[in-house]
Amino acid sequence: MNNLKSLIFKDNTYYTIDKISGKKRFWDPTRSKVCAALKKKINIFPIEEDSKILYLGVAEGYTISYISDIILKGIAIGVDISAHSMQKFYLISKKRGNLVPILEDANKPEKYKDLVDFKVDIIIQDVAQKNQVEILKKNSDVFLKEKGFVMLSLKTTAISQGKTSNIIEKQLQEFRKYFKIIDYKRLDPFEKKHIFVIGQKI
Amino acid sequence: MTINLDSEKFFNKTKINIKEKLEKADQKIINISLIVDKIPKNINELSEQLRIIADLRLPTLDQYTTIKQHCEICLLDINNKISKSNFEELESLSITNDNLKHIKQIILEDIGIEIDTDYKNIIEEMCTNILNLIKLKDNLENILEKLFLENYINFYKLTNIKIASKMLEIAGSFKRLVSMPASTIQLLGSEKSFFKALKTHKNTPKYGVLYNHPSMQSLSKRNKGRFARTIAAKISIALKSDFNKTEIYPELLKKLNNKLEQYKQNNLKK
Repeated sequence: MNNLKSLIFKDNTYYTIDKISGKKRFWDPTRSKVCAALKKKINIFPIEEDSKILYLGVAEGYTISYISDIILKGIAIGVDISAHSMQKFYLISKKRGNLVPILEDANKPEKYKDLVDFKVDIIIQDVAQKNQVEILKKNSDVFLKEKGFVMLSLKTTAISQGKTSNIIEKQLQEFRKYFKIIDYKRLDPFEKKHIFVIGQKI
Repeated sequence: MTINLDSEKFFNKTKINIKEKLEKADQKIINISLIVDKIPKNINELSEQLRIIADLRLPTLDQYTTIKQHCEICLLDINNKISKSNFEELESLSITNDNLKHIKQIILEDIGIEIDTDYKNIIEEMCTNILNLIKLKDNLENILEKLFLENYINFYKLTNIKIASKMLEIAGSFKRLVSMPASTIQLLGSEKSFFKALKTHKNTPKYGVLYNHPSMQSLSKRNKGRFARTIAAKISIALKSDFNKTEIYPELLKKLNNKLEQYKQNNLKK
């Protein structure tokens, strides 16, 4: 996959080489939706070694710590609204060097627009909100470069209690208005009623 | 390609924001109420374990006492402050006369074993632990009451400590609770049954946390739903006035009590 130095696929499991200790680290697909998508054999994985990434909804920083292993020359910005989770992510990002924390609402990108004064290559979003696609669109308008990639993990139960396939169809239709869909996968059995979409800015 | 990013700028701003957010009064209430919720479970478990040994000395004592009184009597007994002829200390514990009679009988019958130093130490330590936990719970509840009176007086006067702190806990923060409409406040705490009802197209629940409101108990099943709607509307107003730091609770309480009387007498306008 893009000849990434520190991402290893062995015995049907994914590992990364830890940036700090240099040891092999197991990536759990039941805790990280990006890894679950990789295990479901998604067509494309746009992250490269010099990528600049905006991650919306980092929480305590489990997934982004693996991404920080992969992007050895790049940088990742993590946004989250919960102050308690941000305490843990703050400590992780101080240790790792290529991560930066922002404590803001991902729904209001104008609040942290002034802090980030460059365009990013990829936006990863995992916020479980009713207007997930809208949030992604707002952020991509401000931060994403031309033909940059978006990775969206969509929680259908946060949107409606109706039939999962109907909700997915509707959300993908909305997604198509702003982005070109490259591939999408259901995340069963790792995450129930979730879908992972990778798209490109038109 | 390397990026020259002034990351210290991010770290400083995030640090300030984290501290600002976590030092607010609503977060303090949520944290304390989370502890208060779990203390009774600990007390019950400990008192169950205490009974294994304490029952050997004074059997069936716990039937006539509260947990606190049980521990106090055990402590008096192992320190030889009560005996067959001396009940002075026992009578000062504010136990009802009926129960006191039963307890005296247990002591007079003298059916329990003589306790050695091992058992004595265990009982003493466990009793003091339980009494300390009860004291801690009272202290925490006092702190909660003080915080509510200082910050959210209208909200507190319409509900009580348990309901108010539970609502804050579910909403996550005071600001989020204020922005909720009355219909959402009415159903706070019944999320599971609410979403189940939406899924299966059946009747939605009428109340969540509000079911534990002291005024609810005197109403019929049909009127409970109506009263939940009324009180949720009043709480919604109270929250908004708390946000603006104004006091309107006497007016709201008066209206609420009028409505409650109407529900009790069942003479509602159609």
